[in-house]
Amino acid sequence: MLTRIAGGRVIDPATERDETGDVWMRDGRIAAPPPAGTQPDETYDAAGKVVMAGAIDIHSHIAGANVNTARLLLPEWHRAAAARPAGTPLSDAGWPAFATGYRYAAMGFTMVVEPAVAPHYALHAHLELADVPIIDKATLSILGNDDFLLRLLGDQESAYAVRDYVAWTLQTTHAIGIKVVNAGGAAAFKTNARQFSLDDVVPNYGVSSRAIVKALQRAVDDLGVPHPLHVHCNNLGLGGNAETALATIAAAEDLPLHLAHIQFYGYGAEGKRGFSSAAARVAEAVNRTKNVTVDVGQVMFGPTVTISSDVLRQFNAHGQAHPNKWVIFDGWGIVPYEYRADNFYNAVQWAVGLELFLLIDDPARVFFTTDHPNGAPFTTYPEIFALLMSRELRAEWIARLPPAAIELTTLPSIRREYSLAEIAAMTRAAPARLFGLNDRGHIGLGAVADIAVYADDADRAKMFRAAALVFKDGKLVVRDGRVTREQFGRALTVQPGYDHNIDHRLRDYYDERYGLAHDFMKVPEAAIGRPEPFELVPCAS
Amino acid sequence: MDHAWIDGRPVELQAACAEAARLLQQCRLPVIAGLGTDVAGARAAIALAQRAGAVVDHMHSEALLRDLDVMRDAGMMTTTPGEARLRADVLLLVGPLPDDSLPQLLSAKPDKGERTVIWLCPKRALPRGPVFGGKMQTVDRSPDRLPTLLAALRAAVAGRPVGAAPIAVKTNQSVADQLKAARFGTAVWSAATLDALTLEMLCGLIKDLNAKTRFSGLPLPPDDNASGVLQVCGWMSSLPPRTGFARAFAEHDPWRFDARRLVDSGEADCVVWISAYRPTPPPWTRGVPTIALTGDGARFPHRPRVHVLVGRPGVDHDVIEYLPAGGTLAWKAATATRTTIRVSDALNQIAAALSTSVAVPC
Repeated sequence: MLTRIAGGRVIDPATERDETGDVWMRDGRIAAPPPAGTQPDETYDAAGKVVMAGAIDIHSHIAGANVNTARLLLPEWHRAAAARPAGTPLSDAGWPAFATGYRYAAMGFTMVVEPAVAPHYALHAHLELADVPIIDKATLSILGNDDFLLRLLGDQESAYAVRDYVAWTLQTTHAIGIKVVNAGGAAAFKTNARQFSLDDVVPNYGVSSRAIVKALQRAVDDLGVPHPLHVHCNNLGLGGNAETALATIAAAEDLPLHLAHIQFYGYGAEGKRGFSSAAARVAEAVNRTKNVTVDVGQVMFGPTVTISSDVLRQFNAHGQAHPNKWVIFDGWGIVPYEYRADNFYNAVQWAVGLELFLLIDDPARVFFTTDHPNGAPFTTYPEIFALLMSRELRAEWIARLPPAAIELTTLPSIRREYSLAEIAAMTRAAPARLFGLNDRGHIGLGAVADIAVYADDADRAKMFRAAALVFKDGKLVVRDGRVTREQFGRALTVQPGYDHNIDHRLRDYYDERYGLAHDFMKVPEAAIGRPEPFELVPCAS
Repeated sequence: MDHAWIDGRPVELQAACAEAARLLQQCRLPVIAGLGTDVAGARAAIALAQRAGAVVDHMHSEALLRDLDVMRDAGMMTTTPGEARLRADVLLLVGPLPDDSLPQLLSAKPDKGERTVIWLCPKRALPRGPVFGGKMQTVDRSPDRLPTLLAALRAAVAGRPVGAAPIAVKTNQSVADQLKAARFGTAVWSAATLDALTLEMLCGLIKDLNAKTRFSGLPLPPDDNASGVLQVCGWMSSLPPRTGFARAFAEHDPWRFDARRLVDSGEADCVVWISAYRPTPPPWTRGVPTIALTGDGARFPHRPRVHVLVGRPGVDHDVIEYLPAGGTLAWKAATATRTTIRVSDALNQIAAALSTSVAVPC
């Protein structure tokens, strides 16, 4: 099956292509142009349109027991006894698994990473993801507040033991990488700690947050896992926490490190409320530290729900729950929240996110996220693309926000506007590289034929809201923002090797500590209920 | 051995599924109830409900929704069975609990040494043998005194005066002090035996305790994989059981979509009754055209039009289901593999036999 996408403006930063031309696909892969005169089986006219690889979202909470808790906590936010009025929270966000795939595909996204899977809930997450249609997906497994790792570190066991445990976790849970969330903070909360910073020590284990981050960072790097350790820092959301972000960036030393939703750590302590933008300082540190990548976690105004494994932070935020109900579980906390344009703090947060996008020079090291749904639902992405691409539009928004908030940011002075090529780099080429996906995020020969075609509309939000055409594995799945074909993607995983001695240790550990077989969290491929549910991403050896 | 029957006559599975599809197609309000099935069965049941415009309900929805109602009205602080086992220095057991729920919780010594167990209204003999390493204290009252007992306890924890209560002021204060002194307290309950207001009082008490220390709830899951089915309903429809798909979108109403009420009132005119873990009969006496998928030995008040004998999940075939000791969905290998029909296979065959029905978007 030979398919031609004809005459579009092909923007493909990975291959340095930005020209009007054709894209050819054969059997689900990008193909070389055939000899002159060859007739394709199908031709799609892309004249006047923009052709990019499918977009990749590197951090979006779309599936798993935590997300499901949020769904069940908020029945009023989806169609319940009465049909739901438009504009209610997450009404566009595609709350069940099926709608999630549809909404992402409609915007030209072809892969999403679910970034917070506690290993015990890995099977649940993969079952949900198997019901998300069209897109490919991947998970990050969470370590760093778990008793087993903290004991290893507290007992000063070798880096080999940590490495084997990390590899065992990746294999068993079918993840693509490791995330650490407020390292040690959730464990400390179990002993009634109410705050926890990088150099604080987890009670009973004698290991600092920094030591946990460093041990995991090294283990991930030693194993050759393409995605660096994904870090949710301490002190999320607090005024003055830019110091935490800067300290964590410095702690990266010479190894790669990814800092998640850095917007939530971009705050100074200036002004009478002790809350201001420190985005410029954080951006400067990121620009300087080439081995560090970040994603933003942009805030947009409106009601949403925060879903986080940072139990300590979520407990401390419960007083702000809107509506006033919340769930704290040993594993995650769910706190509904409304970001308001007339709220000083929320306006600063909104500006900090955009400052970070615009002040970090390299679009390949700052990733596009809202930390869905924590900063905003993923359906707000088109509006954010538009804001990045137009300082005029930003000025219109700024004019509606509290001046006292904007004064404590640098946003009005920033003139930069993202180009389409920079958007493509940030949402396609760079994410694929960040996860070691050599055959995604670009339109080079042999790449997976995941393609998004957009009308080149001056209204960029309109352009990115509804792709004109989307191809997944070479098959047309979306036309004019509507899904035309349902198919199921795969979950991408890494499977680094390990010394099987760790298996025996974990068997004894789970038996003694939990009274459970240690493999109760395993994810048998045959049980997922879809053909070929997984695809292997090689590790550097 | 026969596995499928129409009106009591043995038939091939395919014929049974075709007849089931015919019944579903000609009825006006189908209900898929019981739902005593594994994750695959629940996925297939909800997919079938979406296609057939049916209602889904679980046989233990009452208990399931009691916990859920407190959560979605007021919120909740909970922990996992594993954390409770490792860390709980104070265990507050509330009301009658299933016999098999305690050993896993109590068979290990907590990390911090001694454990205090306080049981309010146990309503039965205490477990014998060395199941826990600590002291046990009971407040022996009838479970119907729990609402006032918990209210008195919550008042004492908050430092408020307590009036008439079914417990001596001194004892009440002593229990309250022990809860406040807990470093990682855990309250354990089974929603099957508590009413919603009692549960809300208990969850409020837990929140109050967290102002100064750490205390969490541990709701014990109902049987027949109810918690597993709840999770599947959550990700497939965003809503728990007692959800209907007749209007082309999922709508949830605990009263309207109660299967028993729908059958008793005559609103439902066809039922798919699923009980794979055991041959539980439906809870109604009214006759309604029924497609039954059950384990061996089922006795029905009215003979089902279609009956399929299905395998026991985790016994006859591999299974993914809610693992109470892990507090999560887990895979389990069959213990005695037999050739049996799985609920998911039967439901998928029925769905495939629905000829002209239009797919309903969720």
